[in-house]
Amino acid sequence: MIFHIAKRELYDNMTSLRFALTLLLLLVLMAVNAINHLGDYRARITVYRGDMNEALGHMKDRTGTLYHLIRFGPGELHKKPSPLSFCAVGGEAMLSRQVESWQGGSWAVRTRNEENGKVDRDIVFGLWRLGYPQPRANLGNILPKLTQLDWVFLISVVLSFVAILFTFDTISGEQEQGTLRLTLANSVPRDAVLLGKFLGILTSIGVPFLVASLLNLFLLSAVGGVDMGKSEWGRISVIILIGLIYVSIFIAIGLLVSARARQSSVSLMILLLIWVVLVVLTPSTLGSITSGLKPAMTRDEYRSREVEIFSRLFYEEYECNSDLMRNDPLTREIPPKKVTSKWSEFVIELAQAREKLNHEHLNDQISQVQFARNITRVSPAAVVRYAIESLAATGLSRHLDFLEQTRHYATEYRQFLQETDAADSQSPHAIGVAWGVSQRPVNFEAIPKFEDLVTFSDSFNSATVDILLLVLFLVVFFAGAYLSFLRVDI
Amino acid sequence: MFLILLRRELLTNLMAFRFFVTTFVCLLLVVANSIVLIEDYEGRLKAYNVAVQVHRDKAINAPTYSYIESTVDRPPNPLSIFNQGFDRRLGNKIETYRNVVPTLWDAELHGSDNPFLNLLSSIDLVFIFQVVLSLLALLFAYDAIAGEREGGTLRLMMTTSVSRGKIILAKYISAMGCLVIPFLASLALAQILFVVSGSLFFSVNDWIRIGGIFATTIVYLSAFYLIGLLISVVFQRTSTALIFSMFIWVVLVLIYPSLSVSLVDQLFQPQEKLKAATKTVSEIWKRVEGEEDRYIGSDPILSGYIGEKHEWIFYLATRGWGMNNYKSRYVERPERLLYYRIEGIWCPLLPVEKESEKHTLPALKSYYKYIESMRMRAAEQTGLIRQKTYRDTYVREANIATNLMRCSPAAMYDLATQAWAGTNLREIQNFFAQARQYRQTLIAYLHDKKAFTSPKWFTVGGGKADLNDLPHFSYHHSGVWFNVKHALPDLALLFLINIPLFMMSFLIFVKQDV
Repeated sequence: MIFHIAKRELYDNMTSLRFALTLLLLLVLMAVNAINHLGDYRARITVYRGDMNEALGHMKDRTGTLYHLIRFGPGELHKKPSPLSFCAVGGEAMLSRQVESWQGGSWAVRTRNEENGKVDRDIVFGLWRLGYPQPRANLGNILPKLTQLDWVFLISVVLSFVAILFTFDTISGEQEQGTLRLTLANSVPRDAVLLGKFLGILTSIGVPFLVASLLNLFLLSAVGGVDMGKSEWGRISVIILIGLIYVSIFIAIGLLVSARARQSSVSLMILLLIWVVLVVLTPSTLGSITSGLKPAMTRDEYRSREVEIFSRLFYEEYECNSDLMRNDPLTREIPPKKVTSKWSEFVIELAQAREKLNHEHLNDQISQVQFARNITRVSPAAVVRYAIESLAATGLSRHLDFLEQTRHYATEYRQFLQETDAADSQSPHAIGVAWGVSQRPVNFEAIPKFEDLVTFSDSFNSATVDILLLVLFLVVFFAGAYLSFLRVDI
Repeated sequence: MFLILLRRELLTNLMAFRFFVTTFVCLLLVVANSIVLIEDYEGRLKAYNVAVQVHRDKAINAPTYSYIESTVDRPPNPLSIFNQGFDRRLGNKIETYRNVVPTLWDAELHGSDNPFLNLLSSIDLVFIFQVVLSLLALLFAYDAIAGEREGGTLRLMMTTSVSRGKIILAKYISAMGCLVIPFLASLALAQILFVVSGSLFFSVNDWIRIGGIFATTIVYLSAFYLIGLLISVVFQRTSTALIFSMFIWVVLVLIYPSLSVSLVDQLFQPQEKLKAATKTVSEIWKRVEGEEDRYIGSDPILSGYIGEKHEWIFYLATRGWGMNNYKSRYVERPERLLYYRIEGIWCPLLPVEKESEKHTLPALKSYYKYIESMRMRAAEQTGLIRQKTYRDTYVREANIATNLMRCSPAAMYDLATQAWAGTNLREIQNFFAQARQYRQTLIAYLHDKKAFTSPKWFTVGGGKADLNDLPHFSYHHSGVWFNVKHALPDLALLFLINIPLFMMSFLIFVKQDV
């Protein structure tokens, strides 16, 4: 019986104007999306490879002595572009594409060579630390403001709107025409009617969506230069599934309202209200309002804390300005070993403290955005955006994953340098200063290299919460539709 | 009879559920967003005030004349609350070196505390009207004729002596009356919030601009109502008319503007032109460098310092920030048409007060006198090339995209209100024109002070350069006429599409069987 009703609903819809318009609209949007991303991935991956090679070149230049690797660090660490950015652009222009190794500071110090007793003039340099550059987002972009016409837009805005147009008169319309009474006069249970209608509408939206997606994928993989591997197809399937769940939510909302409202026009108005609030208002405005509730560390605060860290370590803990540390051989005789290790400890601790501050600053900023994003999750439109972004490996959650990887890598890199120095028995083992480390050249091949890895399981894990949330929305609204339809007088 | 009709239409519209719902949504959105927008404006204003103070202090405290680092700032536009346009997006801080003629592409943004917040999109008041009120206009219109035809009241009306033209006119006038109400109500609420915030003040000119936005909104809504009316006349059934107008709305308001811009962006490939222009720019600078080498080589005192002989003069000979290691990274930036080795450099602080260096003073003086005027000439030359290239590439692309966008009334509305609010590209470009003017003022000031021939140009040996009378920069918003001039074309276009729409609905309606 359910399938009978679903079939009837489907045939009804397929001959209607809205079906034809939906199909047309989706095909045009998907084709435009494909055109917009033609060759896009290829260009970005070329840039990425070029940047990677450049960074490796910088690293290679530093292999002359171990100290250069310690002082300048591994170079820039680049984020790998995602082949699926046509699904979700994810504000990539507002996220930086790399993490850098910053260094800074230099202090003159005199050392005495123990062997020949000669006085050398040496400089202690500040060591590298992970730094997070802030992207100069689109400052030269004088094109009119545009919404990205990616899959996220198509699903969250267009499909939900279409779902409303398909459902607003399903029950109230039949009620107005009296056909609902006729149907129920036969021995058809109400839940079968509801489920049949639900499935019929889902199919009549799902089919154009699938057709348009296939067109888009065909264009992009055939001429667009997107390498679609096994993992990409897996991601795409999950994204399509998420899209269908999301559409189902709006169909359920539509059925709920349509069952409650007496007239189709009233039902349409309520649905449009809900749509505008959920899809247009909540993701943007609510996010901006709530982000004000949890202010992040300001720039001035960051700077003053940086100064404070430096002066605490430099003047108080290590007394670097003292004669002892400057070790002026004309005024004092100091065994240089102690001074060397003290300087070394100082620069290492300074770099660590500064890196910690950088992390703290970054985490503060991110948790402000995360907070706002969590609040916007009351809207399915925001949830579906985050879920698709995670699966397409773009956007904030992917960025966080990248940052996490760079931190792991930094630990690994430092570990390697320490071990290399420890392996050299000649070295004084004060690795913060040039004369305190092993002077042997370093084998470039042995240095750990950074490679940004994107795995399907990581993406899927970060999307799970959002997918579950979508399913929850669906269950709640479908139950609501079911209950209200059961209780409606006809 | 006409008045009775008008009254009936007005009452039906006002009592309608759709009117209530849309007004509610509109007010809700306006209040919520006004709070966000006001807070954002206050933040930007604060950042601007701090930046102005910091930059002024920095400029005045430059140790030598050549060290003046004069950064100018663009204040946020209070009317950006109505339409943000480019006000927040494009750079609002620019350094005006004597060696670079500033353009929009050299600007920076004095930062927000959290760049990640850019991930959250924000909307302005015009966007709300553009989306919600156009929807209301279509919802008023879709059953205006088709509904009465289905209900049979149209036939009833025809039996009276009212002409068909009057019926349409009555419907049009009453619907427009109802559409203005949510707009005015939101404007009033927003105004209350502005007053309460205490940081936003509108001058008389600003009120004229807001009036312009008001007029544009009415013409825009009228266009959408007439589109709906045409659909309502053409289609026999309300349900068809409704579905059709909803799709038209999604396409015109949400999809088409972005679609046209993204296609233009994809098709434009300015790289070749930029590369060619960068080559010309770098050739000009290389010629300057050659001249400089020649001069230093032929000067008996300075030539002795080339190479690593002497730390400070070494900097002079390589004309840089001492960034030899990074030379490869800083040479050329084609997308910004910059050639970095010489543009924008400061002269070093030379320790010529030392007795051993005193004899270099006259040589350095004549060196800088010679080289600085040459550099400034080169900067002007390259400045012209850069501006022309930008006009031929980025600006042209933006113009084409904008023109293509104009097929949608929503885009026309956006552009016209941007022009009224003064957040359009033209107005932002004015800021950079003023920055270029300021560069000239600064150079004139330096000439007046005879700075180029003074040892204070490059050394603090004789004391710090006196810069207390350094000319101020303040940005002048263009007058109302400028806004009018740039808003009128789009407003006129918007008005013009009203006429055929009205004529068509009227003619089809008159010829139709009821």
